[in-house]
Amino acid sequence: MIVRSSEINGPVRESADVCIVGSGCGGGASAKVLAEAGKKVIVVEEGGYYTSKDFDATEQTAYQHLYQQRAGQATDDLAVTVLQGRCVGGSSTVNWTTSLRTPDFVLEAWRRDYGVRGLSSKELEPYFERVERYLSIHNEPVENHNPNNRLILDGAKKLGFRASAVGRNTKDCVKAGACGLGCPYDAKQSVDITYIPDAVKKGATVFANFRANKIEVTSKTKRVSGIVFDHQTQKPKTNFIIEAPVVIVAASAINSPVLLLKSNLANSSGELGKNLTFHLTSAVLGVFDEIMYGAGGIPQSAMSDEFLNKNHDGGGFWLEAVPVYPTLAALALPGFGSIHRELLHQYPHIGATIILVKETDSNGRVTVNDHGRASISYTLRDKDLGYLKQGVAVGARVQFAAGAKRVITLHARLTEFNSPDEIDHKLAASNWGMNEIGLYSAHPLGTCRMGSDPRKSIVDDHCQTHDVKGLFVIDGSVTPTSLGVNPQVTILAIAEKSAEWIAGNFTDIKAR
Amino acid sequence: MNAFHDRVTTRRKFLKETLFGVAFLSVSRLMPSEALLAGELSQVPKNLLFFSPREYLIFESVAERIIGLPRPGQPGVKDVGVASRADEFLAGADPEVQDQLHQLFTVFNAPFFTFLFDLRFVSFVNMSGPDKDSYILDWMTSKFGFRRTAFQALKRVSLSMFYTDSRSWKEIGYEGMFMPEDRR
Repeated sequence: MIVRSSEINGPVRESADVCIVGSGCGGGASAKVLAEAGKKVIVVEEGGYYTSKDFDATEQTAYQHLYQQRAGQATDDLAVTVLQGRCVGGSSTVNWTTSLRTPDFVLEAWRRDYGVRGLSSKELEPYFERVERYLSIHNEPVENHNPNNRLILDGAKKLGFRASAVGRNTKDCVKAGACGLGCPYDAKQSVDITYIPDAVKKGATVFANFRANKIEVTSKTKRVSGIVFDHQTQKPKTNFIIEAPVVIVAASAINSPVLLLKSNLANSSGELGKNLTFHLTSAVLGVFDEIMYGAGGIPQSAMSDEFLNKNHDGGGFWLEAVPVYPTLAALALPGFGSIHRELLHQYPHIGATIILVKETDSNGRVTVNDHGRASISYTLRDKDLGYLKQGVAVGARVQFAAGAKRVITLHARLTEFNSPDEIDHKLAASNWGMNEIGLYSAHPLGTCRMGSDPRKSIVDDHCQTHDVKGLFVIDGSVTPTSLGVNPQVTILAIAEKSAEWIAGNFTDIKAR
Repeated sequence: MNAFHDRVTTRRKFLKETLFGVAFLSVSRLMPSEALLAGELSQVPKNLLFFSPREYLIFESVAERIIGLPRPGQPGVKDVGVASRADEFLAGADPEVQDQLHQLFTVFNAPFFTFLFDLRFVSFVNMSGPDKDSYILDWMTSKFGFRRTAFQALKRVSLSMFYTDSRSWKEIGYEGMFMPEDRR
């Protein structure tokens, strides 16, 4: 069953075989596998539980109820906005459906550089296949791309760059464009309508608006405690304690390390919260003569991976489309005042292409602030800054090749090109410092990284912490490096594999 | 290494960077500057959740310049209730963010700082429109990271409160999302 905090009238005391903190890709998939294996599973989710009937496809409702910090989560210096879901289903409820396997060169780097075993392409193949089948992941036929995605395919093709459709986890999609605001049609096969209901069918219990604040480890069990929030006012209502021999932390690369740091667990390496990667993202906005209307149609169905790992250094960038919702557009456009407002009058004619940098030398860190919440910092270093600059230039060329009349970057000072000839010298003259260029992340990863060496990593190949047996981290925080692709399939596959291992070794894990 | 990214700017460091400002806050509060505010304070809604009445007016004044003045027939900041919406929004923000924003409104508006930053010994709310724009531009493009961060905070709250409201959509040609037939 799924329990909303409105149904809770007093302190909650429960016990289970497995307590999972977080209900996104990592938590949801783990819950399903373990419940199907006959384990008593309790999931606690900080955010609320909403269904398609609650989704009105407005930014106001979605940001307020479905996103971390009402979509205002950012690094401490506000240089990078970090978009994450905060609801049952986690970020899968609000992502743009792109579903891609982990690139082979990434998995090979994990084996080579971090000693990760069991996660080669071949070993993950059955899990990728299972996830793809379960979530109806498929590529869209060419006629289904909206103008904003078609411009990537057309522009890249004209320039001789590789580009193609991307996999999407949808069924009977009506192409409304609301993926990022919660799908009102239940077409997106997000975790809240797939893994979670299937886990519940097998007896799992999901508590919504339950924020875990601490994990304690005793000789007999583990105890997850926290606060129950009123789902309307977000004010504390009561508290909860869940006891279980196995605890899975699946609260994302931002909040999983926060919970572990507050609990003083799993940090003998001193690496907890470090190694944060963002898949750092900026954008170029093309102004076209024709109507682009980037808010409508499938928001993300095409990409160009021409420049990912092109130099065989594990880095590079990737181009994708992005839904042009009005607030997202307003926040991204440069400047302020009348110039900004006039730019927004071009709204229906704007095509937006995002540049996602797979980090090589940059990283960040999550710590705990004085109020017990995440404090996020990030350092963009030279090599990745170089890829970002190159990506913005390539994105602008693709836009022009697809027919844009002018292209605008996300620099704070209006930086626009009226022809491809202007791109290089104008970008060379631009400032790229903190808050001088708009930067985003929807794919924070790596803060509880996996590895064979307990001195350099937090979890082992099965996502079990090196320090505490029976304590697992299963979410995007375990990836040793940036992925270079949207992470949901990677997280789901790792979760299914790790949860299977837990189920198969439960007696042993429990006995330790 | 990139000049602005080679050091980690945590919120704590951000606060430290602004501490020189805090040290002068008590001085700035003594300055005669806000005659215009006095009359307008009575217009501020009661029962604010986050802003003080004075902060409410400062924010509304900033939001008007950041969003841009409307053409005839277009909605403005007051039409959409941007400041009231921001008040409700910020009441739910991280307590650390709240602390910084309270601090920011004092620093941003105080004549001591407008003089320090812009050589004008007048509070922000009492500047002319073009002077306000010039002052905001200085924050946006400042060589000091904390001023650019502050500009970002003000821009994000202002624009979010305006463009999440359906009254702002017609002007830009946004038609809302395609909803299931029984919910249109």
